[in-house]
Amino acid sequence: MKGKYRYLLRMQLYNLFGMNRLIHSRDKQEKQRLAMVAAFGVAAVAILVIYTTKFSNSMAEAGLGEALPPLMVAVSSLATLTLTFVKSTGVLIGLKDYDMVMSMPVNTISIVTSRITLLYLINLMIGFIAMLPSSMIYIAYEHPPICSYLVFVGALFLTPVIPMIISLSLGVLIVVVSSHSRHKNMFSLVLSTAAVLTAVFASAKTQSMDAAQITNLSVTIAETINKCYPPAILFTNALLHHDWAGFAIFAVVSILSGIAFTAIVSRYYKAWNTAVFSHYAKKDYKMGALKSSSPFMALYKKELRRLSSCTIYALNSCIGMVLLLIVAVMAVFFMPSTLRQQVEAMGIMSIIQNIMPIALAIFVSMTSTTAASLSLEGKNRWIMCSVPTRARTVYHSKIAVNLTVILPALYVSAIFIRIAIPCSFMQTVLLFVIPTVYAFFISVLGIYLNIKFPKYDWTSEYYAVKGGAISVLATIGGGLASSFIPLYLCILFQEYQMIILLGITCLILLATLTIYYKVCQTQLYV
Amino acid sequence: MNHVLEIKNFSKVYSGNKKAVDNLNLIVKAGEIHAFIGHNGAGKTTTIRAVVGIMDFDEGEILINGHSVKDESVKCKSMTAYIPDNPDLYDYITGIQYLNYMCDMFSVPAKERASRIQKYADVLKLTDSLGDLISSYSHGMKQKLALIGAFIHSPQLFVLDEPFVGLDPEATFHLKKMMRELCDAGTAIFFSTHVLEVAEKLCDKVTIIHNGKLMESGTMEEIKGSHSLEDVFMEVVENERQV
Repeated sequence: MKGKYRYLLRMQLYNLFGMNRLIHSRDKQEKQRLAMVAAFGVAAVAILVIYTTKFSNSMAEAGLGEALPPLMVAVSSLATLTLTFVKSTGVLIGLKDYDMVMSMPVNTISIVTSRITLLYLINLMIGFIAMLPSSMIYIAYEHPPICSYLVFVGALFLTPVIPMIISLSLGVLIVVVSSHSRHKNMFSLVLSTAAVLTAVFASAKTQSMDAAQITNLSVTIAETINKCYPPAILFTNALLHHDWAGFAIFAVVSILSGIAFTAIVSRYYKAWNTAVFSHYAKKDYKMGALKSSSPFMALYKKELRRLSSCTIYALNSCIGMVLLLIVAVMAVFFMPSTLRQQVEAMGIMSIIQNIMPIALAIFVSMTSTTAASLSLEGKNRWIMCSVPTRARTVYHSKIAVNLTVILPALYVSAIFIRIAIPCSFMQTVLLFVIPTVYAFFISVLGIYLNIKFPKYDWTSEYYAVKGGAISVLATIGGGLASSFIPLYLCILFQEYQMIILLGITCLILLATLTIYYKVCQTQLYV
Repeated sequence: MNHVLEIKNFSKVYSGNKKAVDNLNLIVKAGEIHAFIGHNGAGKTTTIRAVVGIMDFDEGEILINGHSVKDESVKCKSMTAYIPDNPDLYDYITGIQYLNYMCDMFSVPAKERASRIQKYADVLKLTDSLGDLISSYSHGMKQKLALIGAFIHSPQLFVLDEPFVGLDPEATFHLKKMMRELCDAGTAIFFSTHVLEVAEKLCDKVTIIHNGKLMESGTMEEIKGSHSLEDVFMEVVENERQV
């Protein structure tokens, strides 16, 4: 079993981050593309490490060194929890290589273990980024006894386990429950959205601290984290109070939960996959009249069906607009009057009124169905390429879907925001115009980057939508940078807010037109 | 007869300077069934992909009814139907949604859609399943659906890459019959196959390609004479190896 488990894991590692392709591909362009992805990844890791180191150093210098251990456990756990959840619906159950792998002479437990191990290794990497710099800073400032080093090493390897199991369990539960429904994709989408929103608002809730708590930040941080995430207290106690029994419990619970989860999934792996892969078929179709559409409308309707059929695609692409709608509704109906009075008393209402269009643009910048839309054509792309329509019609249909996702939600939210925050006529116009410009920008940028960096050879939609899909990362990164930079500029140079807003809008519009022109010049080939 | 498909001096070089197809010349006329045979990696799929306009190429020219695939790709595609060797279809839509989508893309008049779909779906015994998601279809059913999608817009050129793989015997019989009917109506059919017996019985003309180079091309009688197509193919390949 051990040998075959190793082979299975090795095969999965070949696909991780496209490393094997980078080594063996003879296509120069593909190599360059993969090298760019690798450089992008290394840069992102470097930025995270530098940020973590600087943050930990500042805390230690401010005398808050003792808050570092629970904080790093919490950060690592939260990152694992979130990142694993977004993967969980398409990594363990319902993979395209299921038939091939299950037909091989290998135990189900080996297959499941190899899949979980891969996820664990990815989470371990995230954990190292989150915890290693903080651990070193803690050691440098607090000089703990040598035996504490063992606790650190243990924590590095064990911390990802529990949050990973929680996320995977939730993901598997959603997939399995929704697989029994005829409208499984919609059901899965609703459940996943609810789970993400719960996580977002729960984390927002834990961040709200009152004045008394802020007075003793170190204690507050440690207590808050320990309260929200009990495993952190076991680690903190082991480190600060040499409570080895507590740490042993942490280790045992982590390992046992991993083993129990693997055993349960292995037991039901075949049944769950059968449920996911079995499809509702009535076989009673009667021919009737068929409605005709233009090629653009046909492509547009097909794209909409694609979006609603893929949970991870819809969730990843549309969550920004869902959040915006919720924030806008809350601003109208649940904004405490005291907060409004405080804002007015502090004299920052005019700043808020001016920056509100850019704040809306941030949510818009997170929303790009186009960035993965070409990649998601996958093996079906021969259809898109062989139908008698111009490539730009295909691009237009994909852009139109993104605008359909963004614009209605954006305008409803803008109306709510306008009701919640009194604005001048000009500010109201900008509240609608600036995010609209961003909507076109992010749509065009997404399709442009997906043309440049397509990822057609996926085994699960997750790898086209997330999983190192450079077009998605670069689109969201570019979109957020284009909205956060003007936001900071507006806050820094308050007297020039209007000029900054109008200038940035013109620049974004110009960039949109330039990118759109380039997109329209590009032909589609398999 | 019209030259529906004309391939002139077509070459395709992949990165690494490997020449997949080398100076290929070929004509397929209206009402002709033309088999394209060769071993794995001979350049059949590369040629077919270039013909249907889904792969770019630098050297040579491909014309469909006199229109260049490179310069007038949309016009050429509107006259062509294509079935790849492994037709992966959109799993997330139903069979009828796929067919209606193909009708929209190829501008099939709304009035004629139902009758055309019914005709082919009944022959291939797929009508009952048209309301189901494609993800619930077997490999053969997907192949049948792709065939219906290709037949419904009455193409002038029908290009198929290994069309008989995965089809049940009854569907294979009907496909051959439908190809012959289409051909009688004036459509040119160009298809690759490894099943030489089928090519021998069904086709008017045959082209043998080896390592990207055209070895033989002509009517079935000219090529095989009194031998079987399999004997001729093996002889051509062996001779080329010795050279």
